[in-house]
Order: sequence, then structure tokens, then C-alpha cells
Amino acid sequence: MSYENPDVPHEVNVSRDNALVEFLRLLAGVALVVLAIAAALYLAGGWLARQIPFATESSWVGDRVLGIDVAPAGTRDDVQPYLQTLSDDLAAAMQLPDSMTIRVHYTQAGTANAFATLGGHIVVTNELYRLMPSENALAMVLAHEIAHVKARDPISALGSGASLALVFAVVSGEADGLAPRLAGLVQLGYSRSVERDADREAVAALRAHYGHAGGGASLFEVLAAQQHPVTGALPTFLSTHPADAERIDELMRAAADWDAVRQPLTPVRVPAARGD
Amino acid sequence: MEGLIQIGIFVVLLAVGWFAGRAAEKRHFRELAKLEASLRDILVFNERRLPPGGRFSRTTLVVGSVVIAEDYFKRVAAGLRGLVGGRITVYESLLDRGRREAIVRMKQEARELGATMIMNVRLETASMSEDQSGRAPMFSAEFIAYGTALVPDRRS
Amino acid sequence: MELTTLETVPGKTITRHLGLVQGSTVRSKHAGKDILAGLKNFVGGELKSYTALLNESRNEAIERMVAQAQAVGANAVVNIRFSTSNIAAGAAEVMAYGTAVVLS
Repeated sequence: MSYENPDVPHEVNVSRDNALVEFLRLLAGVALVVLAIAAALYLAGGWLARQIPFATESSWVGDRVLGIDVAPAGTRDDVQPYLQTLSDDLAAAMQLPDSMTIRVHYTQAGTANAFATLGGHIVVTNELYRLMPSENALAMVLAHEIAHVKARDPISALGSGASLALVFAVVSGEADGLAPRLAGLVQLGYSRSVERDADREAVAALRAHYGHAGGGASLFEVLAAQQHPVTGALPTFLSTHPADAERIDELMRAAADWDAVRQPLTPVRVPAARGD
Repeated sequence: MEGLIQIGIFVVLLAVGWFAGRAAEKRHFRELAKLEASLRDILVFNERRLPPGGRFSRTTLVVGSVVIAEDYFKRVAAGLRGLVGGRITVYESLLDRGRREAIVRMKQEARELGATMIMNVRLETASMSEDQSGRAPMFSAEFIAYGTALVPDRRS
Repeated sequence: MELTTLETVPGKTITRHLGLVQGSTVRSKHAGKDILAGLKNFVGGELKSYTALLNESRNEAIERMVAQAQAVGANAVVNIRFSTSNIAAGAAEVMAYGTAVVLS
């Protein structure tokens, strides 16, 4: 009977795999799953948000215009009623549901921009208004934003954004900055297909109101010409509503039957406020 | 911006954990190999029956213990593994080190007594992570090896 | 390979004592099962997924211990003991150790 202690293989208890490789593989796997869940939640958030009735949305928001501080522009107070009347005419042409009321706000924001936010509020900045070569172009802008409201795009963006913020908060473990981040999300640009749909609705509205869709594409040319000589910055409207060649082509095609001579463009009826 | 800074800090800590942790572990395993080699003559068994015919001047309790903590890389890797399930390979080396270190220390105590054998050796592992405020605590474990050291009777 | 918690195997004699052998493993269940187990805390009773986890771990630990015993040329492991410790929420280490011997 012998007592001995031969060398025992310790590697038995320690796995061979390279820890770093395994870690990266795990990380990739988990990241993929998180992304898939985030994408699903994003879509679900948008869809769910659209189910909220517009009446509820506007009662939540009330008179608040989310996403920008609305300050009255300049000294002229006859622009806003003009915009409101034009918007109402276009809304009627687009057959908006009765519960949707569009309120147009005219403000000064330092850059040419227009957007639709929750509750049927549409904001047009003085800088954009000033640049409009014709009422048709202006109507294009308004009709486009009304189309967003009609399609419930603002609240859908909020819902999708909220889902993403939730996923982000869960992953990073922080929930502090959620609320302010959510409020700003409404102003983000939409996807190409959303923009294309809004364009189509707007073109239809122009046709119904003016009899033709001329003047719509000029909007983008005019804005593109506003590129800052030094910084090269483009008006904000172009960053939230990307004007790629396809988009302009579609607008030109929509106006293909427009006869510039027999159907002259309507000029902007109220001059812009003298900005600061 | 602060998001990026946080990610940056995370990556830096991860890298430090990986490199420094790996280096420390390698060093420890080398030292363990050396110590184990030098203590080879002290035999350990977890049997209770003493070798028949052996004469011992003294039998006494000897204990070896050590507390080893994880590094940041292990922590993150274990967290990921916890999501997916399966063997947490990063902890295996930690546990192996701890156990072997505890046995080595027990043998060292026996060496000081002049013992040549340790019987009825028992091993225990206890997790030391306490509930600290905030996030999950750093994992650390205490490894303890104890047994009865047999000091041979020199007179025979 | 004979495995026993006794000092020896009845009817056989130990010819060589080969020292301590140990096997250990640390495993965790995936997050989904953890969440379900957390919910089970309200109702109480057996946490089947954790029981399964520890069974798997124990079997693996025994396998590893046996592998060490085989490497030193033993044909039995006596005085087997288990030790389980909680590593983190939902992860546990199971260690099995004993003395490798040669029986005849």
C-alpha cells in the first residue's frame, strides 16, 4: 500500500478556448439580438402610437407646440391669418377627418424650416416664408406638412423614438435623460417612403386647389440656393426633408402637365415680416 | 457626447482588465507551479483512515485560505454569459487559481510544522460579494483548504 | 472508474493512494430562465431550471474529477465530497473532490 501524490492535470478544470474570442462572439450575438428587439420595438412603437386617436393626441398637447419655441415673427401680424386660411383650404382639399384641426404658427427660428408636430400644429419659419417664389411653393410646404399630420407621422415618430429610448435606457442602465430626449424626437426627419407619401398627398392637394401641380419642385431649388457661403450649411428644412434627385424628379413629373403660360403661378399674397 | 465618453471609459476599463488581468493570472499560475513543485513531498489525501503502521508525534489542524477577486473583463464576460447561459469559462481559471493557492498555503503551514502528510483534507469555496450600493458587486471568492497534518515521529 | 463516498470500496483493497483529485465547473442559466425563476419566488417551490442547472454542473464536475483520476492512473475515487457555492445571481460553482486510488 503506497501513498503518493503524482502530478494532476490542472487543465481539466480550465477551458481551452481563448477568452477574448469567446467574449467577442458572445458580444456579437447579444448585440444582434438587442438590435433585432430594438427594430421590432421601433416598429411596434410607431404602430401603437398611430392607434391613439387624434382627439386624444390633441387633448394631450392642447395649445403647446412641441419641438420649438414659437415666438411671433417680426412686426407683421397678417401673415399668420393668410397662412391659416391657405392651410384650411388645402386641408379641405385633402379631406382631413373632422377631428383634425390644423393650426399654423408663424415664427422666427434663424433658419428656413417648416414642420408638423403633435396635435395638428404646423410651424413655418419666417426665413422659409420669405424665400417662397410663389404661393404654389408655399402651398406645397403646407400641404406636405398637413399630409404628415393626416398620416399621424408626428406621433408615430414619437412612439418609435420612445421605444428606442427605452431600449437604450435598459441597455445602458440609465433613465435620466429620457423625457427631454423624447420631446426633441418629433423634429427628426422621416424615412424616404414617409416623405414620398407626404409628397404625393401634397401634390394631390395642389392639383385640387390650383388645378395643377406646378411650382412644387421650385421649393427645393430655392432652398438649395440658400447654402451658406462660408459654412456650406443648408437650411434646416432640407436636412429634415431630404431633397434627393428622385424626389425632385417625382415632383417635376407630377407637374408635367402644367402649362406655365395658361396656368400662371399665384404670387405670395402677403409679404414676409421684416426679420431681425 | 457623454454617451461616447462613457463607452470610452468602459472600453478602457475592459482593456485594463483584459491585459492586467491576464498578466496577473499568468504570473500567479507560474508561481503556483513553482510552489507546488517545491511542496510535492507533502502528500495530501481526503481520506480519514491514517496510513497503517505510521507513527506520528503530532497531528494538528492546518488551514490555507485566500480571497481572489475578478477583474473587469471577467465581470463583463460573465455578465454576457449570464444572458446567454452555459459555462462561464472566465471564472474557471479564477476558481482553479484560488483552490490551488489555498492548498499550497495549507501545505506551507504543514511544512512549517515539519509534517509530511495531510489527511482528511476538505475544500470549501465561499462567495464574498456583498451587497454594495448601486450596481452588482465585484465577484470575489474565499477558498479554504483544511486538513489534519501528520508530523512524523522522528524517533523511529 | 468506481466512485464512492465511503473510505473504500467494500470487498476490495486499496493498493495505491494517489492523492487529491478535483473537478469543478461554473455555469449559468440564460437570462430568460433567471427571470422566470425570479417570478417563481412569489409562489415558492422547486425551481426546475436551477435544479437542472446544478445537476448538469455536478455531472460535469464529476466528469472532470474522473478525468484527473484517470490521468494519474487510478481506477477509483473514494471519499467523494461536493461543494456548491453561489457565484452571482443565477450562476453556481459545483466542485467535486475525492482521493484517487488504485483498487485491487
